[in-house]
Amino acid sequence: MRTFVLRRLLQLVPLLLAVIVLTFVLLKLAPGDYLTTLAENPQVSAATLDAMRHRFGLDRPWTVQLALYLKNLVLHLDFGESFSRHQPVFAVLREGLLNTLLLAVAGALVTWGLAIPLGAWAAARHNSAVDRALSLVAFVGLSVPEVLSGLVLLMLAARTGWFPVGGMRSLDWETLSLGGRALDLLRHLALPALVVGLVPLASRMRQMRASLLDVLRLDYITTARAKGLDERTVVMKHALRNALNPLITLFGYTLGSLLSGSLVAEIIFSWPGLGRVTYEAILSRDQYLVVGSVLMAATVLVAGNLVADLMLAAADPRVRRD
Amino acid sequence: MGRRNAILMGLAAVLVLGGTVGASSGQPLREPMREPGVPGGRFVIGVTSDAKTLNPIMSNETSSSMVSDRLFTALTEYDNVAQRLRPALALSWVASADGRTWTWHLRRGARFSDGHPITSEDVLFSFAVAYDSTLHQSIYDLLTPHGQRLHVTAPDSYTVVTRAREPHALMAEAVGSLRILPRHVLERAWRAGRFSSSYSVGTPPESLVTSGPWKLKQFVPREKTVLGRNPYWFGVDARGRRLPYLDELVYLVVPDQNTTVLKFQAGEVDGIDDVKAEDYGTLARNQASGGYTLYDLGAALTSNFFWFNLNTVKRPGGRKPVGAPYADPVKYAWFSSRDFRRAVSMAIDRDAITRSIFFGEGVRNWSLMTPGYRLFHSPRTTAPDYDLPAARRLLARIGFRDRDGDGVLEDARGNPVRFTLKTNAGSTRVQIANFVRDDLARVGIRCTVAPVDFNTMVNNMREDFDYDALLAGLGAAVPPDPGMCGNFYRSSGLSHFWNTRQVRPETPEEAGVDSLFGELLRPAPLAERRRLSARLDQIVDDQCWVIWLPTMKVELPVRNRFGNVQPTILPHRLLWNIETVFVKPRGRR
Repeated sequence: MRTFVLRRLLQLVPLLLAVIVLTFVLLKLAPGDYLTTLAENPQVSAATLDAMRHRFGLDRPWTVQLALYLKNLVLHLDFGESFSRHQPVFAVLREGLLNTLLLAVAGALVTWGLAIPLGAWAAARHNSAVDRALSLVAFVGLSVPEVLSGLVLLMLAARTGWFPVGGMRSLDWETLSLGGRALDLLRHLALPALVVGLVPLASRMRQMRASLLDVLRLDYITTARAKGLDERTVVMKHALRNALNPLITLFGYTLGSLLSGSLVAEIIFSWPGLGRVTYEAILSRDQYLVVGSVLMAATVLVAGNLVADLMLAAADPRVRRD
Repeated sequence: MGRRNAILMGLAAVLVLGGTVGASSGQPLREPMREPGVPGGRFVIGVTSDAKTLNPIMSNETSSSMVSDRLFTALTEYDNVAQRLRPALALSWVASADGRTWTWHLRRGARFSDGHPITSEDVLFSFAVAYDSTLHQSIYDLLTPHGQRLHVTAPDSYTVVTRAREPHALMAEAVGSLRILPRHVLERAWRAGRFSSSYSVGTPPESLVTSGPWKLKQFVPREKTVLGRNPYWFGVDARGRRLPYLDELVYLVVPDQNTTVLKFQAGEVDGIDDVKAEDYGTLARNQASGGYTLYDLGAALTSNFFWFNLNTVKRPGGRKPVGAPYADPVKYAWFSSRDFRRAVSMAIDRDAITRSIFFGEGVRNWSLMTPGYRLFHSPRTTAPDYDLPAARRLLARIGFRDRDGDGVLEDARGNPVRFTLKTNAGSTRVQIANFVRDDLARVGIRCTVAPVDFNTMVNNMREDFDYDALLAGLGAAVPPDPGMCGNFYRSSGLSHFWNTRQVRPETPEEAGVDSLFGELLRPAPLAERRRLSARLDQIVDDQCWVIWLPTMKVELPVRNRFGNVQPTILPHRLLWNIETVFVKPRGRR
């Protein structure tokens, strides 16, 4: 087991290196650079632009820029400085990362908290009105874009005052007690988590349903039923546990995409997360910030897959034997 | 007896208070305002992005400068209502007879937010930093009139002298625009080469020493920036009470503009700086019930236009010889015809664009000096406007006819008149470009709209000149003066888009513009400079080098419970006088 984890961690090194080089090449292939954004300012002259380009090192060939970046990264663990913020990349990304994880985890709770029971219910009542109604609701949820559901929920919040209109904390956060802060955060979290969570709900629900249906067709279930067990025990006790195995793998993989799934919700709900930083960095060609956030996303993805494998190994003894 | 004592104590308190204010402020600045206010309260403005840096020298976009300009004062401030300079740290200034030497008398008793006095040393330091070639920021051009650095000296602690080789019309604006930084805090970092990252957004609030009305209370990345009162600032109201009135100024980050409007309607935001035209209607309707006013600020400072690619190769070594046009020679022949450009301008129905894209909230505009530039906008300046029959006649006169009856004109040699209009994707410009396409189809010109990435567009218009026509715009000039737009007017300029960075003017008209612009930079009375500016624009419009499109009107909402609110079209629209804004007591609302 330990060698397995170690091997996976070592694989991370060439992978991240490839991610850095690829991101760099893509950034350089795209036209323009950080200073292009100054183009609509009538006051900046060509000489000033050239001098600024020199200051940021953008006048050197990209191979030199990449070599310098790698050198600083390996020798000093220095992720470079953001052009626009004049701050170390790591400092810019750190806080956004935690906020994004918070939203993503809350979204995942919504997804899985609804998907497993609803999917199981639909499978148990296979082809009934309940099953069809759930499918309909799930697919409507899947088809409504996040932008729309987000804005509709925000309008509801603005009209009723039940929830704050976006943001992560109230302005008076600093004056609140610990309990007050937790409550405040939950109130702010509810709507964006719902929007983030509803998107993958349909597919997770269908997967749960399909998986349970597969299991329900197996011989041992027939045996259990023939023994005279009531349907509830058959489904809940005998079928559900086995049906969950493929979903555990899926759950692990969702961990990997935690950082990337909530960009739209972050923007609509003014959620101070990582997605927006990355998005703004890409638009403004803040290159080291882009590379830094891509690196972070890649690391989380690999870590998520590792966790997925470990979880599966824990749940299914057959996997452990290999 | 108790009462008499109370009066005496009250008197003593007044004396003590008066004493401290007098001793620390010396020569306070009396801020112009409509009505004196009362201290306290909080103003929340919704912004789409947080500040990237709090260092005024390093910032080069609005989201940063709208914060750092509140934190740091300059020798002068701009009075957005009067549209002229007014004293700030400088009590007064005087130019020598030849206009080259300017003497600036600083306010005595001015202090930074840590109580340290502000003296000429700090002004010298700020100049040294701004002129540091290793930093080289975008403010550099403003601070180098005629491309040359000023020679700055300080004869004593409260006098600064700037010398230039030539006089310049905007000398006071240039010198006055430099934000003053604390030498005693930042000099060490600057000498160690760490200036660019000093006063970044990660700076602990207590160590950010400011010279302006506000100081930093809290910065929460991507959530909010909170400014508090700088107790040492030198601004006072008519009663001698220290400004700012408000306890807190909060910049609440709301990246999506739809959300901002919802937040405003829910009462979580007190004012918005930037609203989409499509929201004007809703906001106007709910004014009474929502307890706010939607201020109509008139035409924006941003102009929209498109132009044809007349760029020629300037440097040898490329695929084409020096002097050859970048555009296809057939198209270049059309584009360089003034009559063709005029006919195109006459084919555009500008009012239709205003109606559909700006929801009626726009004006026709014929110059970089939009009606928003009150001092320099010339209402008489116009370019050829919408007139379909005249456009058709003009095209026929230069030999453009539909020879094969396919609905598209052909030039005298039989080439169909077709071109591509590029603009940046994901903006209202694409919609405007579609209107241009439909309008041109009506006179038989086939125009194809090509939305491209913003950076690609900039690259096309500045580096590879790979386009037929391009639709873009230019933003606000600060100070609001045509003298700031040299990059556009001058044939050598980077934003002289239709043929940028000419070694020497390639047409007699451009030579005329260059010399007029030179005159515009010489110190002269306003009336004379307005006349020059209007003449400049008349040449540009007569030549139709750019085809002007309408400019959007700006409206923004602010809650009625605040006093002294005077939003202006000049930046920063809502915040320029925020130190005089106050929360009205209940009886006065």
